[in-house]
Amino acid sequence: MAAVAPARLAALTRMRCEIFQTAYNPTSVRTGAKYLRARLRGPSMIRYYPDELTVAHFNRMPGGFKIQNWEEYQRLADVEEKKRRGKGVPKKAKSKAESRRMSRKR
Amino acid sequence: MPNARVLRDIKARHGVNANEVLRRAYLYVARNQTLPAQVRFQAQLQLNTFGRYTRPTTVKNRCIETGRGRGVISEFGLTRFQFRLKALAKELPGVHKASW
Repeated sequence: MAAVAPARLAALTRMRCEIFQTAYNPTSVRTGAKYLRARLRGPSMIRYYPDELTVAHFNRMPGGFKIQNWEEYQRLADVEEKKRRGKGVPKKAKSKAESRRMSRKR
Repeated sequence: MPNARVLRDIKARHGVNANEVLRRAYLYVARNQTLPAQVRFQAQLQLNTFGRYTRPTTVKNRCIETGRGRGVISEFGLTRFQFRLKALAKELPGVHKASW
């Protein structure tokens, strides 16, 4: 089999690139083209979790709906009840010395 | 209401979507060996200024039902246990328990 001259092979590659409209890059230099060629992944990424229709979302929709959220109502009522019995959230410490972390015995 | 990790993941997804085109442009410049090194370096510095929730690698496919991050079967977006529950309840089309 007769060896083909390298120049002829290069010419063939260049012509092939011209015909199929691809970039002629014989030395395989990194041109960063793959970052432009790749599809954008954001649009499909934000569609991963299905949209959940909550009461708060529904009330914010156009149309001026006002639906009572019973679970939220119950939660707030429970918090009030706990506060009344002195079982509420502790006061925020004003200084470092007041914090429970500091007063804890080792 | 999804748990905090799912909310964080949703935040990351929206951040990636909002910054994707700009990030790609900088990536193209930074990785292009035909451009001068100074330009590429500046593009890389710009890439480093993007926030944490703009990188696609911060996004993780979590369980749609429970928000669990491990053992998620990607075809259904469910963890293995939720997948089993739903399959047994016949909520997944074309999935049924093997028996032969």
